[in-house]
Amino acid sequence: MRATALSMTSPRGGALSRRRRAGLILAAGCVAAASLYGLGPGGATASSHREAPLVAADPAIDNTDLYAFVSPERRDYVTFIANWQPFSEPNGGPNFYPFATDARYNINVDSNGDARPDAIFRWTFKNIDNRGNSTFLYNNGPVTSIKDENLLFRQVYTLETSFNGKPFVTRITDAPVAPSRVGPASMPDYQKLRDEAVITFPGGWKGYAGQADDPFFLDLRVFDLLYGGDLSEVGQDTLAGYNVNTIALQVPFTDVALNEDPKRNPVIGVWSTTERRQVRMADGSSSGGWAQVSRLGQPLVNEVVIPSGLKDAFNSLSPDKDATIPAVVKRVTEPEVPKLIEAIYKLKAPATPRNDLVEIFLTGITTKANGPIKADLNSQLNNADVNPKKFQPSEMLRLNLMVPVADSPNRLGVLAQDLQGFPNGRRLTDDVVDIGLQALEGAALTGKLVDAIATGDKVDANDNAFTGEFPYLALPNGVGVNTLAKDSGAGAGAPAPSAPAEPSTKPTAMIGTSSDWVPVMSIGAAAAVGIGAIFFTIWWRRRNRIVPTAHPDSTAEM
Amino acid sequence: MRRLIGTPLRIGAVALAIALALVLLGGMLGRAPEAPQIAAEPAAVTPVDRLEQMIQRSQERLRRVPGDWHTWASLGMAYLERARITADPTYYPKAEEAVRRSLAVKPDGNTDALVAQGALANARHNFAAARRYALAAIKTNGYHADAYGVLTDAETQLGNAGAATAAVQRLLDLRPGLSAYARASYDLEQRGLTDQASDLMRRALVAAVDRHDIAFCRNQLGDLALSAGDLAAADAEYAAGLAAEPSSVALQRGRARVAAMSGRTEEALSAYAALTRRAPTPSYLIEYADLLRSAGREADAHSQLRLATAAHQLFTGNGGVDGLTGAALAEASGQPTRALREAQAEWARRKHADVADTLGWALHLSNRDTEALAYARRANTTGARSAIYAYHLGMIELALGDRATARHHLTAALQINPHFSPLDAPAARQALANLGSS
Repeated sequence: MRATALSMTSPRGGALSRRRRAGLILAAGCVAAASLYGLGPGGATASSHREAPLVAADPAIDNTDLYAFVSPERRDYVTFIANWQPFSEPNGGPNFYPFATDARYNINVDSNGDARPDAIFRWTFKNIDNRGNSTFLYNNGPVTSIKDENLLFRQVYTLETSFNGKPFVTRITDAPVAPSRVGPASMPDYQKLRDEAVITFPGGWKGYAGQADDPFFLDLRVFDLLYGGDLSEVGQDTLAGYNVNTIALQVPFTDVALNEDPKRNPVIGVWSTTERRQVRMADGSSSGGWAQVSRLGQPLVNEVVIPSGLKDAFNSLSPDKDATIPAVVKRVTEPEVPKLIEAIYKLKAPATPRNDLVEIFLTGITTKANGPIKADLNSQLNNADVNPKKFQPSEMLRLNLMVPVADSPNRLGVLAQDLQGFPNGRRLTDDVVDIGLQALEGAALTGKLVDAIATGDKVDANDNAFTGEFPYLALPNGVGVNTLAKDSGAGAGAPAPSAPAEPSTKPTAMIGTSSDWVPVMSIGAAAAVGIGAIFFTIWWRRRNRIVPTAHPDSTAEM
Repeated sequence: MRRLIGTPLRIGAVALAIALALVLLGGMLGRAPEAPQIAAEPAAVTPVDRLEQMIQRSQERLRRVPGDWHTWASLGMAYLERARITADPTYYPKAEEAVRRSLAVKPDGNTDALVAQGALANARHNFAAARRYALAAIKTNGYHADAYGVLTDAETQLGNAGAATAAVQRLLDLRPGLSAYARASYDLEQRGLTDQASDLMRRALVAAVDRHDIAFCRNQLGDLALSAGDLAAADAEYAAGLAAEPSSVALQRGRARVAAMSGRTEEALSAYAALTRRAPTPSYLIEYADLLRSAGREADAHSQLRLATAAHQLFTGNGGVDGLTGAALAEASGQPTRALREAQAEWARRKHADVADTLGWALHLSNRDTEALAYARRANTTGARSAIYAYHLGMIELALGDRATARHHLTAALQINPHFSPLDAPAARQALANLGSS
């Protein structure tokens, strides 16, 4: 609406004489004029300049979580799962949630520790749109197969890979994307659609792209306490009922390990990125370059470590720059969260500088970087063929591929001496909220869980069970979250945990030496939850600026 | 409009009574329902109203956690988006209040609130203040994409073209997406790179998810086509936008303009009548009045101008500043002296090409053509392909007796868009005919 009044239709020139005769008299009491006085302070919009959206929704490139773990049923394959498009609500509009066709979705792997990718897996998406111009139909009948012609809008993807800096090679084109689940009548057998979207590639790779239940579990409301909120209602998985768009890939260890030798070089670092093409304002052309618009390695950490003022910067950095930004390193060595906890709850913050956190967040746990944790677990420095001089501390999700698959995974992962779990990679069942909180309070350093915060956010498992086979994720929820809330009534209890049984794994003594968890301090459960609250504050911001309406959990079978 | 109640109204009791009357009126007129449709089989999909979801979630959250300053700031931003989409100014004070609440909780280092304050200042045409807020926000977080969006808008409107381009480049580098593409498109358009501007707006459309964002992109694509005189392409864009968001006032205006430019005057008039009932903004009302006048309905035109004047007085009476609209109103009301005063005051505030064009024309209307020429030339040397800029320049040159360049610029105006105005385009043809015959 740029210069609307003057540039397009207002009569001038020849109209001038008429104008001059016009002589408008403004009658103050005129009903028509007076009616505008209802517009209040700030008055009428006078939008005689172009106004463009400023906070346009862009969830398709909003990267929420990354997982990397040894495949439990295929133990020499590693599985990567990355999620975008948070808070996708089934029947929410109704709507569907495509991947962005103008973005690149990457999973990056660094095996030699220089903080640069040695393997890049890159997904791009295309629309197959048979809706025509005048309709907003998603489907015009039941969708019983992935290529069902009743599905009027669908997507396919191309996967390209680059290893060791060599040019990209196309691995597959036009692979089907599992559709958004829009309801039981439209998609009576979603499992079939899921199965058809699981692709086996040459070389034994498996891939999946499409919708899934959001596997992350936590109670976002715990952090209300920071703002004086009511703590009486924690213990619900706030993400229950929502879907995400998932990309999952399973590849042999040998394809990602340094020198294709996972026995000598078992550790990899993983992070996901989303990119959009850059534009040169000089002439409006695409420059050929791509801008990184989001980056994700370890869960929460990026946000907990990086204060909100640096979050935007961090998202645009590549990992090899991390250690060159003093503010980033300082936030690791002098973390904010334990100080907040100490100030509010008198749980004494561990002494700084926190070099244990440097190990967890920036180097991987190793004895080779002069860190305080006396263990070698998941730093590339422990790869036999790594040149330590080229090692570059950086934030990524590090995984030791040779740690055996735990028969009974412990949700607290490494801190509960289940070494296959977070922060050694990340499994779907790892309770990263509680783990992260424990780590920040020094549990990795002492080898003792901090009892005072043992309850964390009181959400210990996802609402929907994970499966035993690739891509492991629960099917997308098929019932609208708000619909469900209404149907099941308010005040439904905590989710029925589908978590695996609690620990029986024998510690292998790589982390800590003590298995007698001594309560450091006794504080009330509510306070403990409040501590969790602080922890989430910054994380929550990234995930979605808006917390969804609180709702009872979905335990409905789809 | 019902939301009006409960917001602090710093106006008199009489005005409040009238406000209530307007609420009733608004209730009678009714806004298009915006509630999501219920799923049906086959699944008809309406592009989601993410903005409405965001507002509802924020409100819900803030009822529960009133100390959450982040959400207060983002609610303020959401209200400003609503104001932009609906042209409903009652969202400005709501946005202001939300930002105030955010700052009350966290007065220092509150980047989100600074950005929202800047966006609000832009919306109220206080571009210099918007620029200051944006720079303050950037000082606290140099990677905050929205801050560069606010800065881009402010620098653009202030006429600092180089700074605007630098800001939008930074925005593009930080977060390529709809917000960046749309601003980049406008920047290119102002430099006359209309094909590239359209390309970027198409890219913005690809990135659009929210139905209002789809409507915005379609509207801009329609306006780009319209400014080049391609009525059919423009109409197709507006229609596609209305399929996504039937209640968009901007798109309804677009179709009304197409009707007017196509000579379907009655259709255009009824479209403007409906449009200005929903969104009684000064600019829409002036357009409507112009159209009425071109149809010979002077008295009706005056009624609309009275409304426009009242709306504008309300805006300025509450601290808003908009010399362009003020000049347009004065001009339309036959007050060239006041039009010139408004244009000069606006030029003192900012040096955008639109202001140069307006000031040049206002000088012309006051028979100060020698001075007018410099401003009209300045507007035309920005590179923007604007029929109205060229028309004004040509007419000023004609008044100065420079017949050759006048013919050149009047011809150019009609070449850019033969339909550019229902009154000015015929005036340009008439002037050219007079030039040719003498």
